[in-house]
Order: sequence, then structure tokens, then C-alpha cells
Amino acid sequence: MIRLTIDNKTLQSAPGTTVLQAARSAGIYIPALCFKEGFKPATSCMVCVVRVEGVRSLVPACGLRVSEGMRVITDSDEIRKARTAAIELLLSDHSGDCVAPCEIGCPANMDIPQMLRQIAAGDLAGAIATIKKDIPLPATLGRICPAPCEKVCRRAAADGAVSIRLLKRFAADADLSSDTPFKPSNAAPIGKKVAIIGAGPAGLSAAYYLRQGGVQCDLYDRHPHPGGGLRSEQIDRSLLPESVIDREIDILLSQGIQFYGNTRLGTEIEFGALTNTYNAVLLAVGTEVLELAKWSIPIQDNKIQANRGSYRVLNWENLFAAGTCIGSRNLCVRAVADGKEAAKEILNHLTGLDCEPLRPYNHRLGKLNPDRLKAVLAGASAASRLEPEELGDREAANQARRCLKCDCGKKNNCGLRELATEFKAVQKAWSGELSAQAGDRSSQGLIQFDAGKCIKCGLCVQEAIRNGEKPGPAFEGRGFAMRVAVPLGGFLNEAERLTAQKYAAVCPTGAMCLADER
Amino acid sequence: MTKFDPAIVDACIERVGSKARHALPLLQEVQAAFGYLPHEAVQRLAERTECALSTLWSIATFYDQFRFKPAGRHCIKVCVGTACHVKGGEQVYEAFRRHFKIEGDKDTDASQQFTVSRAACLGCCTLAPAVQIGDVTYGHVTQETIGAVIADFLDRQKQAGKGAVHGDDGDIPPEGEIRIGLGSCCVARGSGKLLAAIQKVIADTAIRVRVKHVGCVGMCYQTPLLEIVSPGGERTIYVKVKPEDARSILLKHFRPPGPVRRLTYSLRHTLDRMLTDTLALPVDCYPADMRDPWVADFLVRQKRIATEHCGTLGPLDLGEYRSSGGFEALEKAVRQLSPDEIIEQVHRSGLRGRGGAGYATSLKWKAVATSQSSQKYIVCNGDEGDPGAFMDRMLMESYPFRIVEGMVIAARAVGAAKGYLYIRDEYPLAIERVTHAIELCKANGYLGEHILGSDLTLELAICRGAGAFVCGEETALLKSIEGKRPAPRLRPPYPARQGLWGMPTLINNVETYSFVPWIIRSGAQSFSALGTAQSKGTKVFALAGKVARGGLIEIPMGMSVRQVVNEIGGGIAAGSKLKAVQIGGPSGGCVPASLADIPIDFESLHQAGAIMGSGGMVVLDETDCMVDIAKYFLEFTQRQSCGRCTFCRIGTKRMLEILERLCVGKGKSEDLEKLLELAQLIQNTSICGLGKTAPNPVISTLKYFRDEYEAHLRGVCPAAKCRGLITYTISDDCIGCTICAQQCPVGAIAMKPYEKHAIDNDKCIRCGTCKAVCPAKAVSVK
Repeated sequence: MIRLTIDNKTLQSAPGTTVLQAARSAGIYIPALCFKEGFKPATSCMVCVVRVEGVRSLVPACGLRVSEGMRVITDSDEIRKARTAAIELLLSDHSGDCVAPCEIGCPANMDIPQMLRQIAAGDLAGAIATIKKDIPLPATLGRICPAPCEKVCRRAAADGAVSIRLLKRFAADADLSSDTPFKPSNAAPIGKKVAIIGAGPAGLSAAYYLRQGGVQCDLYDRHPHPGGGLRSEQIDRSLLPESVIDREIDILLSQGIQFYGNTRLGTEIEFGALTNTYNAVLLAVGTEVLELAKWSIPIQDNKIQANRGSYRVLNWENLFAAGTCIGSRNLCVRAVADGKEAAKEILNHLTGLDCEPLRPYNHRLGKLNPDRLKAVLAGASAASRLEPEELGDREAANQARRCLKCDCGKKNNCGLRELATEFKAVQKAWSGELSAQAGDRSSQGLIQFDAGKCIKCGLCVQEAIRNGEKPGPAFEGRGFAMRVAVPLGGFLNEAERLTAQKYAAVCPTGAMCLADER
Repeated sequence: MTKFDPAIVDACIERVGSKARHALPLLQEVQAAFGYLPHEAVQRLAERTECALSTLWSIATFYDQFRFKPAGRHCIKVCVGTACHVKGGEQVYEAFRRHFKIEGDKDTDASQQFTVSRAACLGCCTLAPAVQIGDVTYGHVTQETIGAVIADFLDRQKQAGKGAVHGDDGDIPPEGEIRIGLGSCCVARGSGKLLAAIQKVIADTAIRVRVKHVGCVGMCYQTPLLEIVSPGGERTIYVKVKPEDARSILLKHFRPPGPVRRLTYSLRHTLDRMLTDTLALPVDCYPADMRDPWVADFLVRQKRIATEHCGTLGPLDLGEYRSSGGFEALEKAVRQLSPDEIIEQVHRSGLRGRGGAGYATSLKWKAVATSQSSQKYIVCNGDEGDPGAFMDRMLMESYPFRIVEGMVIAARAVGAAKGYLYIRDEYPLAIERVTHAIELCKANGYLGEHILGSDLTLELAICRGAGAFVCGEETALLKSIEGKRPAPRLRPPYPARQGLWGMPTLINNVETYSFVPWIIRSGAQSFSALGTAQSKGTKVFALAGKVARGGLIEIPMGMSVRQVVNEIGGGIAAGSKLKAVQIGGPSGGCVPASLADIPIDFESLHQAGAIMGSGGMVVLDETDCMVDIAKYFLEFTQRQSCGRCTFCRIGTKRMLEILERLCVGKGKSEDLEKLLELAQLIQNTSICGLGKTAPNPVISTLKYFRDEYEAHLRGVCPAAKCRGLITYTISDDCIGCTICAQQCPVGAIAMKPYEKHAIDNDKCIRCGTCKAVCPAKAVSVK
């Protein structure tokens, strides 16, 4: 056995072990991107660099074998700086979006591409589940939302955005008219209760997601019926009939949310009693804020003063506010998003997870120049945008297929994105020329290879050799222009199903994904 | 160009072999057969050999040598090495492309006659800018002379095959000796033609004289160089000799025997003169005495060990090598010294590796010697890829026996029985000479089994590189020999423990091996008596750039940079001022004129931000822009990076982009800090020498010439070099001769006889032709 010290911890490792393996088996964390257990270390990404006493430069832990008396430091300012730079340099040659522009454009950050894929595949049950993860009132919003998602849809610049709102309404209406509408799975009760003042879109949304988190929710409103601004006379009823609102809210409340109508703060219920009885109180009172001042709730310019990240009311411990009343844009989808976010924050507060969560890193491709756009369009359905009132399953599926799939196939399990989040990496820290463009995809087979997202670690090359795959991917060229490609200009279309899955699994980024999951 | 035919590929396999390790030579053989690599041929190699398609592809696309499109009949390689760069190589390259109307990403003219490409370095730095067409090298090519160069080449093509005149009578004992340098530089400057002319004169006149081919004479700036040893033993050197001078020089020193011969000679001579009169060029050669001060300065300051017997030794004359002390060291090493004693000698000599890092040679040898293994290898690194360096080429061309002797001694010391010399493909003459030398050594018992009758065995083989600078890195070089994609790997384990095919391997540079015979023969003390405390012995440098006398020099360690430039190099040419000396090529840095008094040794150079490197020394004067120099080197390393590590692959690219911005006046205020930050990150994280040292040229220029960087930020290039920041103007001195208008390659100057000319700045490509051709010096650049 070899004795070495990692971060002042003395370890014993078998000869031939790498520093990365030794550290991990001792519970010491070293981040790594291009290292996969069982593969030869690629020593490529340089995220796993450590300092070894007596060595002038930093060394990648994945490829360094342990030796007797070795002393290793795995974390320091210098090391963090180098790791961040490695990630940022990789990002500077990364071309693509983590999440699609529509998802970012949607105030509720709904996973629109996923919904479209499900509709395209005729999976409406899946689609509504995807929708309700972020938007609890889709039938309503499908009628009145100004659809900011469609404004940023990449296809808008070419032949019209995908009819996202229409398709969302399509999926939601199917759910509303179903005998067994979608039911979210609610967590077991956690023994906490929250009062929500105001049953408009923000309050309803907060209640829906708090309930899913196992919280008892009581919803108070001075009006007899829930819905808040949705019942306003300013909304064209031919666009949004009351019956749709009623049905959708009914389903929402049926999750076990108590609604108390005709209940006015200060008359039917006392504010002090609320804050004493409930673990937390959420104010979602829309435009009716002025009278709140008397309970020493800070108000300025007709808005409740609350932190926009934590939704906590200034100077209060367990009082939260969301929606129009804190100055959010007076937009139904914004209010719904606020309600959802506030619910998360309140849940964190109630369960003692009060730390600030890391904002997931989002790589942005930005606007495509006409040539690139043309290239991307070449791989998508040529159908045109639909704007009718009614549509059938087939039209819906065809419309959904117009999606350009801007989102990344690995957005939820991409090593690079996770590290970029962890190290708070900045996309444009070192921006410059790209070695491959987004959409340089070769996807004639089961595997979709997106060269713009490749970090050139060659794990897939190793995988190909293991599987005797011919012709598998190989390194091509050298230097900045070096890339992974199939020899002689071929494609990966001959990859077997199993190998395709292995490629997708071994690739640390979204460069290799299964084509049929896209 | 040959059409694809599977039988040709199969024949290549037959000749080379079909093992995985044959991947590189197989591809080279196939390319030689077709002129390029047809896809079908690569496919066939994968089917018919043990080489996997993905490996073949990753190798074929890695090296510069391989191409996938048919090339023209003739390949024009324009050298853009450091010395050529500072003397306008890039402009020459562009001029060739314009000449053949090659545009966009094409590299071959429409008639498929000529393919024009850049060469990283042809190793003919004293001839800068140099151009290689086919196997002919042209020196001092300018935009104005490319027409003549092409015409000359085509002329040679026509002449080829007629055969050279042979003039060796053999039976009559010679009465003197003519020594003619046949190093690449000499050949490039016409020593081949000169040799043919001399042989013709000898044949015509029956002069009894021995013509001896010697290796590089070192005084490359004066080539072609002819040394005459007259019957009385008196030596005279003629420099810059032209073929038509051969007659008069020979006849001055030697008398043709018998009146008849003399008569025929003069008759034929007259006839020749009549035929060739129109082509006769003015003779500008002159005899130089060894005691002339400039020859003395160039030679006397030097100390020759690796280049011992420079200019007198026939490169492939085994007998002569032996009679001048060759193989004495090997005899001693085989008969008198144990392996440990050899290592002890090397240790006491203080010899450090001449490949760049300066690692103690004896420690490396000891590590291999003490590694327990049934099989060990010895490798000579002759992949001299640094632009601006040509020492190893000269050593291999001129002293191949010395290198082989050094390797045999080393093999005995470490216990290796098989070895390789890895030589870059750009050095065909070196490959030819070393190959020949190995054969001769084998035939004479200096290689093979039972060397000198002992139980020592060493088989040596040559591996040809294929155009990848990174192969000079030892782990990459070993992979290249193994037939793998030559991306360097993380060390440890070092090759001394796990090298070629996992076996202990000694790998030293050409120059390092060249010192070994001298050390063993003359004693470790003689070597360690030379040099400084930490850096012993001598070092061979390739001196080029803006000096009066460039060439291959060997100096004792510790001589100052200024001494080399002024005393050996004869100072800066044309009255300009020394600005800096670039030492160590792309891994090195610039020693500014203010530090020119530092001694040349490993430590001092490192402290000054340069490195010894392999020994390229390019002198820069005030017309050289330091930002441009930094950009030039980074462009090189960036292109040569294997692409494995993030910092080297993307980091150097980002640095280059910043330098490119600066050179066109689009720099941003934070750029200099970003450059430094990246430079330090790349140094601090790269796993191989290429990456670790790639930022050096930027760091050292930024340290000593920050004001120039800042000027570029303001959109000014103080040296008036960066084409994006300068404009050419014609002053009132213009005499209206129209030469500039005639020569301008892009028609940016309207022809106005007897009027003042003007340059259209929108059309102007800043090639500088007008300034070069103006007889009235009326063109200025700002």
C-alpha cells in the first residue's frame, strides 16, 4: 500500500490508484468532467487539477497515480481559479442553449420543448404533467397569455413561431374535459400550515405547489369565488369563459386546499391571529395593498416591499408576498410564476433550508444569423404556423413537430452545466471564435451528435473501441480545430441501439444524445 | 497524380508491414504513391492491416504532411519560420498565391501544376525568406523574384535526367583538394550547381584534384562556400561562388596537365562563353583568407565539439571520421569502461540535455540503466520543429557518424539493444545521410551484433516524422513511433521507466548524443572546464535574423548574447539597432537589447524569460514589432497544439485572438491583463512542454516591451509592421518612374509617367513592394 496525504488527511491506497480515486474513496470531493470510472483518464478538461507538493504546475488528479509520501491539496484559491477558468474556457467554445429560448422567455420557465415533444408523440397525459410542473392554470393561460415564449421562439424569425400557446391550451383542454384530470403527487404532510391571502393566480399557484410540498394551505379571499383578477371585467369573456376558470380552479383546489371566500383581512380574520396560527403567511393581494400599512407592513409606491428573490416581506420573519402586490408585472403568467417561486421559498423556510440555492447556469446561443438559422431549419418540419380556434390531434402533433429543439438533450444531467453552476461560471469570460457551430449535427441514426457541445475528451472514442464499433467516432485534426468525428466524413448512423445508449451515457455534455429522445 | 488502385495500396503494405505500429509509415507510403491520401486507400489500409480505421484517421488528420485532395504536380513550400517571418516570408507566400491566382481555401492553381503551402520552418534560416519547390530550395526570395524562381525551377525540370558530368580520374594521385559544402543551406544557394560546374571543369581540363563534399561549414551567410587546398597545402576560401566562377578559380590554383588538354579546354571555353554570354552574371565572389578579420571573428570565438572538424569532414566518409578520432570513444566505452563508468563520465562532464529543458543527462541515463527490464530502447529526438532552429539538421547532415557513436555509447550505458532516430520529414537530406551512415556503421561493426567484437548489440532504425511540432515532446514522439496519435501524456511515469511500448527508454536530443563521443574521448574534465558553473560545455546555435553573418555556431556556455550578435554575427545589418534576440523559438522568449550582456547559460536565459530551447537564435532589430513576434509564435504553437488539454487548446486560441485584435487596432483596455492571466493559467496547468512554454513569447515581450503593446491599444504600431495599422504614402520625392505602379500586385497605384504617384489605400494590401522597388526612396510607411 502507498501512503499519501490529501488535504492533510493521511490515506493508504493501492499502487496504480489515481489521486482522484484515492480522494473520492476517502470522501474528499474533487470535481471532474471528462473522467469516467472504468475509462482511461482523458486528462483533457483540467477541471480536476490539484496541487502536489514539489511539482511546479497544477496536475490533473484523474491521471496522476499515487506515490509514496505524496502530499496533495485539492482546494485553494489558486485551484478554484484554475477550475473556473477551465470551465469558462470550455464554455467559450460551447455552442448551444442549455434550455430553449422559449423556456427562458416564459416567466414560469415551463419546459416547452418537452411539452411539444410529448404532443408530437401524441402523449397528451405526459404533456399536461410537463405543463403543470410549472403552470397550474394552463387552460386559462392558454387563452389569455400574451405568450412571451412565442416572441423569442427561434422560428419566429423565419416562418413564424411554433403555436406554443395554442398547443398548451390544446393539451390543457383535453385534460379539463377528461374524467380523470391530471393529479400531481403530493408529498406526505410535513406538519406545517400556511395562510395565503388572495386567491388570484399568484395565490392559487402558491397554494398548489405548497400543497405538493406537503404543506396545509388555507386560501383566503374577500371575494366569494377564487380567481382574483381572472374574474375582472377587463377580460373578454368570449376569450376566457367563466366556466373554464371554474373548472380549472375546482381541479386545483380538489388537491386538498381550503378556500375561505368572503373573508376580509381585519374584519373576518385578524392579521395578528394569522401570523400566530400559521407557520407562514403569504400575501398575494394583487392591487389591494394600501390597507395593509396598518399592520406595519412596509409599503412604498403602492407596493409591498419584499425581497424579489426570497419573496420575504422586509423586516418580517415569516411573512411573504408575491405577484402584482410586490410590483411584479401585472401579467397572469408572471403572477403564476411568482406564486410557484414563493411556494419554493416558503417551503425552504419551513423545512429549515434557508440557504440561497444556486441559480442553474444557462448557456445562451443568442440570435442566429440567417445562414445558421437556415441550416437549423433544414432539419425541422416544414409545416407552417397554426392559429385556428380548434385543432385536432394530428394538426397539433404536426405543429409541435415544428419545434427546432433548441434545448439541450442533457439539460438535466450535463456535467458541464452542473460544474458551471457550481463554480458560478460566466459564459462570456473568454468569448471568441467557436470551433464548431451549434446545429452542426449529424443525426442520421439513433445518436444525435452536436459538435458545438463537444469538449473533445474522447470518452466516446474509447467507448467505440470497447464495442468494436465500426466506424466509431475518432479524433480528427489537432489544435483548436480538433474535433471528434467519424472517419472519412461518415456518420454515426450505423451505431447499434445499445452502443448509442452507451455513447449518450458516457458523453459528459449534450454533444451525444439519443435522437429519439429529442 | 496516380489514380486510386487497391493494388498500389497492397504493395505499400507489402513494403512497410501491416502491424499497428506501421500506421504512420503506411500512410506516408500511400501518400507518396498517390500524391495524397484517397479515402478509398485509407479504408483499404484499415481492412488489410492491423491498424484501426479510427487510429489511421486520427493520425492522418493530425500531421501536416497528409492531404486528402490531390496536389499539383509541384509543391511550393514557402517557409514562414521565424527568420523568414521577420524577413517577409508571409508576403512571399501571398505573392505566390497571387501569381498562380489561387484564392479562398484552395492551395493549388487551376492547371493543377503548383500547390502552394506554408512550411513551419525549412531550417534554412540564413537564406530567409526561403522557398522549397520540389527538392530545390531557393533562398532570399522576394515578391519581385518569384517569377524568376519559378522559371528557374521549370528550367531545372527540363535539365533533369541529363546527368551530371563526372570528373574523377581515380588513377592519378590528386594534387590538392577542393572542399565544397553540401549542407542544405549550401545546396539551396546553388552548391549543387557549383559542384556540377567544378566537375565539368575538371573533366574538361583533367586537373588532378580531389573534390570533397563536406558538411555544413557553419558560415551559412556566405554560401556557397568553396575551400581550395592547393598542392602546396595552402587553404583559400571562396564565398558566394557562382557556377560560372568555377573555371577561373580552379585554373588559378591548379594547372591542367599537358598542352593538348589546355588547348581543348580553352577552345571549348571560348565556345561556351559565346553561347552563354547573354546569361553571364557579374562575378561577385572573392577569396577570403582564413586570417581575414571577419572570418577569424566568426570562427575563432567558437569552440567546436558537436561540430568538430567543421567544414573538413566528409559527412559519409567513414575512414576520415575514424582517422580524425571517430569511434575512439566507442572503443574506450566498449573495452575500458563499464556502463556505470560511462554514466559517471557523463555525470562528471556536467552535460545537460540540449533539447530544451536542460535536464542532467547522466540522471536520465541512470534512471534507464537502473530500470529492471528485459527490453530497453534508446531514441534520438531529431524532430527539430522550432521555427528558427536548424542545428540538429546540420548535425545530422554533417556528422551522422558522431550521432550514431553517441547513441551506441549511450546504449551500452543503459543496456538498450534497439533504438530509433526520429527525424522530421522536412529534412530529407538528414534522413538520407543518417540512413547511409547506419548502413556503413553496420557494415563496419559499429552497429548490429557484436559491436567491435564485444557482446554489445544495437539495432538502429529511422522513423520519419510527418509534420507535427508536438512530436518533439518525448511522450508524443514515442507515441508517434508506436503508430498512435501523438498527443503527449501526463508524466510520470517518465519514459525512463515506461517509454516505448511500456519499456524503459532513453530519449535524448541529437546534439546531446553528439557531445558524448568527445566527452568520452577527451575526458569529462575537458568538457566541464568549458562553460559556467551550472551549464557546462558548448552549445550549438542557429544564428539568424538581422545579423550580418548568420550561420551554425558552436560557442562555450557563458558567452554573452551581445558577443554572439556583435562578434560572431558581425552586428546588426544595415545600420539599424539591436532590439532583442529571440532565443528558444516558440517555447522561448525575447532577451531585450538592455539585457544583452547576460551570459548564455540555462539559468540566466530562464531568468530573463527565454529558454535555451533547442538553440534557435533570431536577432531582431528596430523594424521588428514585438507584438507581431508574440503573435507569430502563438499562432505557431496554437496550430501545433495537439488539442487535448482545455487550456492549451482553447486558452492559446483566446490569447491569439487578443493579439490579433491588438495588431489591427481593435484591442480593448482589459486585453493586456487578460493576456497575462491566460498566459499564467496555461503555464500552470498544461501537462506537456508545448503547453507549459507556449505563453513564453507573450510573457517576455509583455514584460520588456509593454509600451509597444500599449501603443497597439492606441492603434499605433511603432515598428510600422502590423499591416492593419499602417499606411504607405508616396512623398514629393517621387520621380514618376512608374516602377511602383508596374510592380504593385493589386493595382493600387495608378501609372502616371513623370507625375507624382499616389497609393489607393483601400486597394493597398501593405505588401511593401512599392517601398522596396522605389529608386527615389519616396515611399514611406507609417
